[in-house]
Amino acid sequence: MTTALAPPLLEDTKLGPNAGGLYERLNIWTGLGFGIFLGFVAWVVSHATLQGSNWGSDMVVTCTMLGWVIGFNIGIGTFNAPIRWMLGHDQTHEDELYVAGVGQGRHRYLKYCTDHKVVGTQYLVLVMVLFAVGGTLAMMIRTQLITAHSSFLDPQTYNAIVTVHGMVMIIATIVMVSGPFANFIMPIMIGAKDMAFPRLNAMSFWVIFSAVPCILATFFLGGVNAGWTTYAPLSVQAPPAMDAFAMCIIVFVVSVTVAGVNTIVTVVTMRAKGMTMGRLPIFTWGSIIGAGLGLYAMPAFLLAMTMMITDRVTGTSFFVAAYGGSGWLWENVFWIMGHPEVYVILIPPVAAVLEIASTFARKPVFGYKVAIAGFVAIASLAIMVWAHHMFTTGWAPNLAGPFMLTTELISIPTGIIFLCTIGTLWKGSIWTRLPMYFVYLFIWNFIIGGVTGIYLSDVPADQYFHGDMFVTAHFHYTLLGGAMIGATAAVCYWFPKMSGRMLNERIGKVAFWLIAIGIQVTYFGQFWEGFQGMPRRVAYYDPQFLSANQMSTIGAYTLMAGWLVFLYMMLHGWRNGKIAPANPWHSKTLEWKVPTPVPLENFLVDPVVTSDPYTYGEGVPDGQEVPDFAPSDDPELVPAGSAGSGAQTDAGGDH
Amino acid sequence: MSFTTTTHDDHDHGHGHGPAVEGAENPGGHHEPAELRDHKERLALWMFIGGDALFLILMVFSWFYLRTLNSNGMWDAAQCTTANPCEDGLGNPIVAQITRADPWHAVIIAGLTILAAGFVWLAEIGAKKNTTKGAISGPAGIAFLFMVLAIAMQIYQFQVLPFTTIDGGYASTYEFFMGSTLAHLLILAFIGLGLWIRSSRGRHAGGTWYRVRLIRFFAVWVALSTVILTVVGSLFA
Repeated sequence: MTTALAPPLLEDTKLGPNAGGLYERLNIWTGLGFGIFLGFVAWVVSHATLQGSNWGSDMVVTCTMLGWVIGFNIGIGTFNAPIRWMLGHDQTHEDELYVAGVGQGRHRYLKYCTDHKVVGTQYLVLVMVLFAVGGTLAMMIRTQLITAHSSFLDPQTYNAIVTVHGMVMIIATIVMVSGPFANFIMPIMIGAKDMAFPRLNAMSFWVIFSAVPCILATFFLGGVNAGWTTYAPLSVQAPPAMDAFAMCIIVFVVSVTVAGVNTIVTVVTMRAKGMTMGRLPIFTWGSIIGAGLGLYAMPAFLLAMTMMITDRVTGTSFFVAAYGGSGWLWENVFWIMGHPEVYVILIPPVAAVLEIASTFARKPVFGYKVAIAGFVAIASLAIMVWAHHMFTTGWAPNLAGPFMLTTELISIPTGIIFLCTIGTLWKGSIWTRLPMYFVYLFIWNFIIGGVTGIYLSDVPADQYFHGDMFVTAHFHYTLLGGAMIGATAAVCYWFPKMSGRMLNERIGKVAFWLIAIGIQVTYFGQFWEGFQGMPRRVAYYDPQFLSANQMSTIGAYTLMAGWLVFLYMMLHGWRNGKIAPANPWHSKTLEWKVPTPVPLENFLVDPVVTSDPYTYGEGVPDGQEVPDFAPSDDPELVPAGSAGSGAQTDAGGDH
Repeated sequence: MSFTTTTHDDHDHGHGHGPAVEGAENPGGHHEPAELRDHKERLALWMFIGGDALFLILMVFSWFYLRTLNSNGMWDAAQCTTANPCEDGLGNPIVAQITRADPWHAVIIAGLTILAAGFVWLAEIGAKKNTTKGAISGPAGIAFLFMVLAIAMQIYQFQVLPFTTIDGGYASTYEFFMGSTLAHLLILAFIGLGLWIRSSRGRHAGGTWYRVRLIRFFAVWVALSTVILTVVGSLFA
């Protein structure tokens, strides 16, 4: 490795008094202010002009939500650049630096900031908040079900909580890896200085941020009682809360689409010299395949929700059979999105698990190219399986066989990726630190979630299990036990690079055991309920299901305790954790070769990649132990004479 | 992963660290070679268009699905008479009759959109030749005019339709097509106005002609999608 003289740090640039222009005055508070103001104006105007008409309440709610979203994004600065572009007033160099966070310290986290590391951190916080909301709702559900006829919640409220719990968790899990890690980590991994479109990156975050209040508002608008799948015609008949729900999804789709395009373009066009596609870290592959699948799925989500909202607001009849529509149309369009979306959630954390397994086993990813092919195969098959959600609906019975076949075929590439994970660990010199605990848990949960999925893909078995708690247990094992635990491993792994501090592993192990036990007890309880035939989404149940429900609820409280300990560990680590060295895991990928905190534009000297990402044990003669760790914790991609780490390199002087 | 390093200025594509490169539109922003910017922006646009194409395909799927199913006879039953009664796809008697939309309105809108795309293409040719800024802003202004006319025509069509949204599956889907076209035209008009203003200020001549090409790609896609919806909505009613 050669080094160059230290260039001046961008974050040391002295900006003029007019740098940033309008951005200087905008932040989350102006966003909230504009959003509330415009939402209120939209409510007043629509209430005065539309309330008396058909579908008046739905129109008012839709206009109010639209006003909020547009107002918030005006107030945070999302539209500044497009409007300046249109008027021919491009941003100056100083404006660009200001918007990238130069000289703003901690305030940049509350502003429209184009630095991908800030956006990644913003996503991480948002995802944690969403999980907190979704988790609280889950605990309310389990508390209701601790007895057969609990009076904790009435059925209407229970159904509303089930719906919002489901969709909040879906939103959170879709962005839980692609938001924080594909933003913060992935550009550094490939040797890029930022995402391909930094402004779109900031936009994707603030747009999704503005979507969240829409779904939370449903509780104050009568609640959505249709479940997260919002099957028509139930959702067409739901209270006005359904309009806010649909608006949330429409805005969310915009965010995910923009973010997905940005991720793919970044990887295709921004790689460092020598970083060929064959040298990409496996996590990067997972990110772009997940993003690509998202680009396929999201238009269907957009269409489904737009048609839903027009049915409710303008009286169209896409899903109302009496007027020429069909509930089957909803199910088709929704599940054309819905099943690929599962893999949009799953693929990036699985790829992160492979990345972590390689680092801690001190071995290359086993079957690197096969694993990539497996991801591609999963993504390809995922778009051909949607009707397995409709086996019991009576739609196209002749297609049940082909859809059963395609669904079962998915287990082949999934199994191959599972084997790649095991093969990576096999005979490795495994260093069991906190991220690895969650990798082990992922493997355990993922196999249970995967195997039970095969039962549900089988038409005769699905006739029995459809709509009961077995399905609930299966997808929670897959999405919580698999994807979310994979994402948790990723948090533990990359936290030192993102925060500049180490997590307390003793606290982490307490969290781990509570979470691990909690998952098994909760969802084995639900498998038991499912085998007994207990339906999903019921506030009251027959006493014969009592024992299984009590087991599940006890597990859920254990799980909640685990997550609370985990949250405490993160907050404690962020504030009081030990200062992290640049490469605490002695990993080989590029994100660990830059200083911590990572400077603006990431690389003080540009890397030129000359080998694949997993050169562990290279040059070690046969029969000798692979040396676990490099002798130095210093970052390698710093110029001669430059500091190895420390807060002085941070854009704002703090993290 | 093994690596070596280069100096910072060899490969600069971030927040403006390094010398300005000829071809970069923004003198203070992301100093990247024009080729890289073109590559990035073209790839992104094709992906957005790809997503939009999927949306279009699903809209057309919805059209044919509801048309084939014809639930409760509520698609377009104009051809059914008492002497020649019809049944829907489920064997139910058809009970409603709906007048079809006048296809000429959609044809005019599609024509205006094609003309707008054509003039954006002329603006691109002017930008590529690096001629006077009038050679770009002139066609860009005319393109914007056609976009506005198309929007006006689309709004007019909404007002003169012989049915409303509540008149069944055909009416619902047809109006959805119109709404989709209107949304695309509004986005195109925003970009078209930007092209006109920017080219009038000399922003698109020479090294950044590829930006006009991006707009042309989108304008052609909007024209194509409008034609597809017109054909489906008119010939397969």
